[in-house]
Amino acid sequence: MVYPFNSDHEMIREALSGFLQDWYENGKGPERIYKSGKAFDREAWSGFSHDLGMVGVAISEDFGGSGLGDLGRVVVMEELGSSLCAIPFLTTGGQVVDIISKIATKQFKKEYLPKIARGEIQGVFSSGHVGKEKKCINSPNADTADFILISRLNDKLIEVVFLDASAPGLKINSKKTMDPTRSFCDVDWSQVSDTDFLLIGTVELDFFEGIISQSQIALAAECIGGAQKCLDMTLEYASQRVQFGRSIASFQAIKHRCADMFVLIEAARSAVYAAAVATDSEKTEAVLIAKANATEAYFKVAGDAIQLHGGIGFTWEYPLHLFFKRARANRTMFGVLSEDYKLLADNIFGDKL
Amino acid sequence: MSNLRINFSKWMKTHFCGEYECLRGRATPGDEDAFPGLRLKWEREMGTAGWIGIGWPTEYGGKGASLDEIVGFNEEYACHGGPGRAGHIGETLLAPTIIAFGTEQQKARYLPGIKAGTEFWCQGYSEPNAGSDLSNIKTKARLENNQWVISGQKIWTSLAMDSDYIFVLARADEGSKGRHGLVFLLVQLNQPGIKIRPIKQMSGTSEFNEVFFDEAVCSHDDIIGDVGDGWKIAMALLGFERGASTLGQQMTFADEFRQIVDLAKSNGSAKNPLIRQRIAKSYAGLKIMRFTALRTLEAAEKGETTKEGYISKIFWSSWHRDLGELAMDVMGNEAEILVNGEYSKLQKLFLFSRSDTIYGGTNQIQRNIIAERALEMPKEPRGGGTVREG
Repeated sequence: MVYPFNSDHEMIREALSGFLQDWYENGKGPERIYKSGKAFDREAWSGFSHDLGMVGVAISEDFGGSGLGDLGRVVVMEELGSSLCAIPFLTTGGQVVDIISKIATKQFKKEYLPKIARGEIQGVFSSGHVGKEKKCINSPNADTADFILISRLNDKLIEVVFLDASAPGLKINSKKTMDPTRSFCDVDWSQVSDTDFLLIGTVELDFFEGIISQSQIALAAECIGGAQKCLDMTLEYASQRVQFGRSIASFQAIKHRCADMFVLIEAARSAVYAAAVATDSEKTEAVLIAKANATEAYFKVAGDAIQLHGGIGFTWEYPLHLFFKRARANRTMFGVLSEDYKLLADNIFGDKL
Repeated sequence: MSNLRINFSKWMKTHFCGEYECLRGRATPGDEDAFPGLRLKWEREMGTAGWIGIGWPTEYGGKGASLDEIVGFNEEYACHGGPGRAGHIGETLLAPTIIAFGTEQQKARYLPGIKAGTEFWCQGYSEPNAGSDLSNIKTKARLENNQWVISGQKIWTSLAMDSDYIFVLARADEGSKGRHGLVFLLVQLNQPGIKIRPIKQMSGTSEFNEVFFDEAVCSHDDIIGDVGDGWKIAMALLGFERGASTLGQQMTFADEFRQIVDLAKSNGSAKNPLIRQRIAKSYAGLKIMRFTALRTLEAAEKGETTKEGYISKIFWSSWHRDLGELAMDVMGNEAEILVNGEYSKLQKLFLFSRSDTIYGGTNQIQRNIIAERALEMPKEPRGGGTVREG
């Protein structure tokens, strides 16, 4: 099954795309975020989470979500990608939900997942089990989170703990980013009292591979949403722009570049949908393929879109550079392209370099 | 796993052996001259056992196999190393066209031979002046004494030398232009009015041929549709091409890919990080081809029309050309050496794949098609007769 959507998914897509389009057309698009200097659109978040109830798309129905899993999240991320809506769904509705769903006690899930689903609280995951220091560098969206899930080493075990963002001693340093619609923060919990951490569960190292894999699918879906939007904007622009007495969309040089953009997008789309429904044994590989192709396609298409728009595409006022910058950011999120292909090659050859 | 697939797997195990052993993995494009006689015999073997036309409706002798079953069938065939199918033009292109548009008489006359693996077909579309501009057909057909009389020339006709019949796109209305006035005819190749000349390609082999018609004939009953329907039928046939048959082709690709991986392991180029990256990327492309084909087929089964099918040709042809280049880089300097004075399978792949981006609609034409049909951009201007025809 590679064309997997059912009526539930279509309903979500329609509701969300309608909401986001209004958002965009009412001058509340990402340009506003640039001016505000904060990578969090609180108003959009409230509409998205409270009015539309979308945060819990992948949360089980037992805990107040829609239970639509990776595939439901693909739909949401595609739409968010096409609008560049600055809300922390990828972190809260993604990693945080996945970690809690997999390892927390029933009681913890009962207490937190419904609140997350309703958008009352949101959190991020900050990985701290790799280095020796009690901090995480470049943790997305941590500056606006209500709580932080932290992974940390305790002897040879990896613990996942919960920390309220208001805990005394917690330092969250938000950095300026090239793509200002997603913040990166350094989270430092070295000065937080031990009693403020709440243990959620203990896991093996490969647990996080699964979590990252799910986030990679979501990220890849965002990429095809963004790339599609860039192509749509280009087609619209090219059909209206007249030079040499004809619409530039009638020139083969333009048509062929648009065709190439379409090929990249549809190829990546196939990979993303396939990854979302892949069986466990095929998942790792399918996700690597999806993530590598979608991030690559998005960046190429966003760049092409700027080129085909001519001068206007290069301006600060026109929104294309926002997509271009998001596409750039996604290229290095959850691993870089060459690493994806390295892992794939290791699989193919059954060895490592 | 479907019963059909299990049965087919058993059958391949017990039948694809012995004298057929030498066909394993052979007769792919660029290698089409391998064991011609034996390949036709193999087709009959398949046909006798009922493995040709499994997707056709049961009333025409098929098994009415579902999409999943057809995919499984193709995969099983490839897993066992089955050779390139000599009968695929008849089975996967012409037969669905006859089933959709043909008369009962045509179905009764032509489907059994395809199904039995005893009658082989080739496609008479392209002409010297009708390549990318396919509708510029000059081959003429006129009705005379209840027979169609055909004169003209076709070119780039795949596998004509191994075929019994050709379906021909010809101009019936003298003075008609472009897509109008065309007929779609079913013509026997073995007759005095037809001459076939192989074209020696840069791969050294001859998959493609020129077919000359000099007052060749077929019965009046051998027209599919009416006069003027030729273009519609010809295009519908190409639509079937984008269907399940692409999955079989992908199996051949997978086999070639695997061979390159094995070579990289054995000659040490698997230690080269750049080669590894390219192999990984190639593998991703192979998977994506499959995912995209399945997307299209599943949507079609649900009765939905989707647009991703438009990328199929340009995607696989570019991928395959890149695979050929990768194969040569994996071989290193050995790529230059002809063992026993002949091109090896990978050398043939490298050379033949230069035609992939040309035949069946060049990559440039594919981009026009994508832009105009999938993206609804303005159509290319048509010539106004300012160019003198040669």
